[in-house]
Amino acid sequence: MFNRDFWSEIFMALKRNKLRTILTGFAISWGIFMLIVLLSAGNGLKNGVTGNFADRIKNTYTIWSSSTELPYKGHKAGRFIMLNNKDIQLLESLYQVEEVSPVLSKGGTLIFGEKSRNVSMEGVKPIFKNIEGVKVIEGRFINENDMRNKLKVVVIDKNTNEELLRTSEETSMMGKTVYINGLSFTVIGVSKGMAFGEMGQCYAPYSTIRAIYNVNEYYQLTFTTKGLDTKEDNEVFSKELRKKIAMLHEFSPDDNRGVWIDSQMVNSLETMRIFNTINIFIWVIGIAMLISGVVGVSNIMRITVKERTNEIGIRKALGAKPRSILLSIVMESLVITTIFGYIGMICGIGLMEIVNSIMESSGAGTNSEMGMSVFVNPTVDISIVVMATLVLIISGVAAGFAPAWNSVKVKPIEAMNYR
Amino acid sequence: MIKLNNINKTYFGAQPLHVLKGINLDVAEGELVSIMGASGSGKSTLLNILGILDNYDEGEYYLAGKLVKNLSENQAAEFRNKLIGFIFQSFNLIPFKTALENVALPLFYQGVNRKKRNMMAMEYLERFGLKDWADHYPNELSGGQKQRVSIARALVTSPKIILADEPTGALDSKTSAEVMQILREVNATGITMVIVTHERGIANLTRKIVHLKDGIIESIEENDPDKMDFTKEIK
Ligand SMILES: Nc1ncnc2c1ncn2[C@@H]1O[C@H](COP(=O)(O)OP(=O)(O)O)[C@@H](O)[C@H]1O
Ligand SMILES: [Mg+2]
Repeated sequence: MFNRDFWSEIFMALKRNKLRTILTGFAISWGIFMLIVLLSAGNGLKNGVTGNFADRIKNTYTIWSSSTELPYKGHKAGRFIMLNNKDIQLLESLYQVEEVSPVLSKGGTLIFGEKSRNVSMEGVKPIFKNIEGVKVIEGRFINENDMRNKLKVVVIDKNTNEELLRTSEETSMMGKTVYINGLSFTVIGVSKGMAFGEMGQCYAPYSTIRAIYNVNEYYQLTFTTKGLDTKEDNEVFSKELRKKIAMLHEFSPDDNRGVWIDSQMVNSLETMRIFNTINIFIWVIGIAMLISGVVGVSNIMRITVKERTNEIGIRKALGAKPRSILLSIVMESLVITTIFGYIGMICGIGLMEIVNSIMESSGAGTNSEMGMSVFVNPTVDISIVVMATLVLIISGVAAGFAPAWNSVKVKPIEAMNYR
Repeated sequence: MIKLNNINKTYFGAQPLHVLKGINLDVAEGELVSIMGASGSGKSTLLNILGILDNYDEGEYYLAGKLVKNLSENQAAEFRNKLIGFIFQSFNLIPFKTALENVALPLFYQGVNRKKRNMMAMEYLERFGLKDWADHYPNELSGGQKQRVSIARALVTSPKIILADEPTGALDSKTSAEVMQILREVNATGITMVIVTHERGIANLTRKIVHLKDGIIESIEENDPDKMDFTKEIK
């Protein structure tokens, strides 16, 4: 059945109707192409934004000091609430809290050779890296050993690193000694860090900073939790925690300010929800595109069959069996969809690979100042594309089937006399 | 070869049209029969039923001893392919196929391989003086040439019977005479032939003339074509 004659008949038919073939084919290619571009762009956005959270553990909270908004028990509104050791004790007493990691902030001047730079030094525990998603681009972050031995080591930010190395013979700050507020620290790492303008940001072991400065007040407390898996759990917990802290610092439990309580879990669930919506949206558009492609094919198949009615009548008079006519028409639509679907696939994947490689080499899509990315690796899983193409081909055949079947059923004399 | 018993056919259009009202006819093997009648008398309808291109409502039609009634599409295709060759007024050649490809097409549906197919098709084209036109498309051929291609196509499967509907209807008188000469020669090889025409001159070249009028057979006339004067125009 599927011998050389069969295929040459099909390709003759396609060649004979060049315009029709190209129009149908273009509809298919375009459908597949757009599907790939859409899915890839969606993935790029998702990869970009979720990449910011990727290194973070989700069951974490950050509490920030802030000013009150409501007057309470004789205190005026606008009072600044500074977090202290009582808050840490409170947190440690809660069974949902796993580990508290306070952040000791100390402003200062960092000096290296001739260079000096204003920095904010944060005394943090090793887990801070996972809580805040700190990206270390050279060397390492603070570890337990640094903590235990209260070592004077520091992780500097990328901008500070570049600034210190500028016009210097050194190529790396690793292992170099820098002076912060007159004390010597050894550089152990460089973080991508959040650097604001001229102010550098350094991380040192919590225990070291605590021993040097004996700070008992905090702008920021972070901690990890256990057993809080859903948005609801976290919202209830946040509310309870806010009440307790309000009691401790004597501000209104109804005050929305006083402290900021930020749940990473809620944030990431929220982000995921947004991305799922985007994903569904993209798929809906993509499927609509596939459907329009299939409808295009079926319409043009219908026209083809009409155009070929006389020919089909002649063939039947000469002894063509219905099966052979049906098969030739269906194969025609199959061949068109397959070839042009494949072309659309190659073009779509090709384009996105080019976009991807340009973005990678130019660093577009990521905001290095903020250490944030918005659009990364805009490519699509090849198996999804193959699936989509198969769906298109199968529906193309299904679409070609009905008109083909109608043309086969018609009496030969009617087909021959059809005008 | 052909036996018709009380064949009835009605077209169910906006108004039902009873076209064939009880046709009884026998055609023996090797006969050369013409069906004559005015336009609209049902000649083509009858021939299409003979060719299993259309169905009938009542009666029985036996072709080569087999009852042709309620055939499946596949059975009908087999009958048409193996037993019947068609010649039409409008030729019904496939426009995007060359003369050779057109002639070879019935063999394609018999599953004959390409080489043999083309060889056989070429033989028949040669027989009708069209060897040099084998690679030409129908629109590059004259009416007479087209009809000779379609005769070659009808014969290539060595059918038992040839059905021709106004085979000279679109041709001038000289070409008509040539085509009729070919058909008579084909008949002389033993192939049964039924020719539909509304022209007396054509009918005169057959041995049996069936006169059709308003859907019934009015009379059947025996005729001796050899008495005809071929130097005279047939139209
Ligand atoms: N498919 C059809 N549907 C309805 N009426 C038809 C159809 N084919 C033919 N007729 C009618 O049947 C009658 C006989 O037609 P036909 O057999 O073609 O006559 P002839 O070939 O003798 O001129 C005519 O009146 C014609 O209009
Ligand atoms: Mg007619």
